Amino acid sequence: MTVKFGHVSTEDYPTIVDQFSTNLINDKFIGNKCKECDAKYFPPRTSCENLHKEMEDFAVPTDATLKAYTIIHFAPEMLSSKAPYVVAIGELENGMNVLAHLVGITAKPKVGMKIKLKSQKLSDDRVIYKFTP
Amino acid sequence: MISEGVSIVGSGHGRFGKRVNVGIRELAHEAVTELFEETKQDLNSVDATVIGIAADEFNGQGAPAAVITDEIGLSNKPTIRIESACATGTASIRTAYSLIKSGLHDTILVVGVEKMTAISSAYATELMARAGDIRWEFPFGCSFPGYYALMATAHMAEFGTDREMLSSVGVKNHYYGSKNPVAHIQKEVSLEEAMNAVQIASPLNLYDCSLISDGGAAVLLTKDSLAKNFTDTPISIMGIGSGSDTMQMARRSSLTSLNGAKQAAETAYKMAGIQPSDVNVAELHDCFTIAELIAMEDLGLYAPGEAGPAVVDQQTYIGGKIPINVDGGLKSKGHPIGATGVSQAAELRKQLLGEAGSRQVEGAEIGLSHNVGQTGQFVNVMIYGRN
Repeated sequence: MTVKFGHVSTEDYPTIVDQFSTNLINDKFIGNKCKECDAKYFPPRTSCENLHKEMEDFAVPTDATLKAYTIIHFAPEMLSSKAPYVVAIGELENGMNVLAHLVGITAKPKVGMKIKLKSQKLSDDRVIYKFTP
Repeated sequence: MISEGVSIVGSGHGRFGKRVNVGIRELAHEAVTELFEETKQDLNSVDATVIGIAADEFNGQGAPAAVITDEIGLSNKPTIRIESACATGTASIRTAYSLIKSGLHDTILVVGVEKMTAISSAYATELMARAGDIRWEFPFGCSFPGYYALMATAHMAEFGTDREMLSSVGVKNHYYGSKNPVAHIQKEVSLEEAMNAVQIASPLNLYDCSLISDGGAAVLLTKDSLAKNFTDTPISIMGIGSGSDTMQMARRSSLTSLNGAKQAAETAYKMAGIQPSDVNVAELHDCFTIAELIAMEDLGLYAPGEAGPAVVDQQTYIGGKIPINVDGGLKSKGHPIGATGVSQAAELRKQLLGEAGSRQVEGAEIGLSHNVGQTGQFVNVMIYGRN
């Protein structure tokens, strides 16, 4: 079974995204990096932006710091039933930034707070990642 | 390539707002008609058109440029449609400038137009959100205001930018919009109202967000040696700078400024041979209040973190250090995407000609326009000067 990323698919995903989703549903956070120039990607890309092709997997840390957030009250049509929700950018311990929902907070988020990247199974074949405090 | 410069020799500006019973063709016609009413030449002087329309999904017309040229009697001249999200208008002017400089054409009519209100706000919000990375960021439902709200919380945390600073931008822009007869909302708003409006993407509320509008604007460009055939008072395009950035917000090196805007500003200032302090009047892309503050800093008008206090101090009103968006900006004049950058040029032309009426910045000689597509992936900074 192919595992898909996100609540709905808006494009035809390449293999790398399906592999990423399969890892994610098994709680593995796997990005990739370029064998030639070491450019790092999370989520992973099929090939490097410097036009190199050889990539290798690496695990990213899941501890992060909140860099920015917003509470979406008026949502795009596709997610309007879920509003309000928090969209955040967290900086992972290796310096990479990730955009995801921040869930499970009891008070207003604070830039600089510690958060953790987690996998969230949406259904048997759908997964997404999220931040939690 | 021709060695002479390029001038703006005419402009026209339709009414911005929720325009009922009109399509993109009528909106374009309105702006172009006004342009030729005050120009010495007629349509025969035009060698080609550049049409700026950001999204077919708003109006339903595929290949929309041809519908526009058909409506304005220019279907017998070459045309091209330009798209750079919300920077479509200045991208169109940049394209026309390049076509003239290359020697391919002498005189080009640029028309920017958008009809946005025929669809629901929720669908419009979805369409604009789809201009974020659909693979890794759109799935989280980050709306377009949401991306700027992320920048706002980062800017607030880093520099102490606060609610009052953001709202003061909206208050100013509505103040000037109330004096602009083509503005979408010609109504002032109090600081209290602006600070307490309904939340859209916190910390941004309704009065932090620009409007979803219909409207069109047009400018006529020609090479300097022909300019006097059209008008006694041409306006020079002194500088054009452009910049870009990553599609994914998460891959940005900064969340408190737009790299593309800094890049564009540096290039434009250099080409024009001026400093930020030489600018007399500025049109900044205030799609959100935080965007105006960040623009002030990216353009070198203020140091990082100093824009917010300066707006509260009313330094960006007429009579202050640098008047900004004295036509109401995107916030109050409105933001029909494809028209916005062209509208900025039309407004600055009027300012530099001393024809801006009650909103005139006395003695303005150099005007700057800053136009941003999406969240900084497309940025153009234009510098216009009185000849």
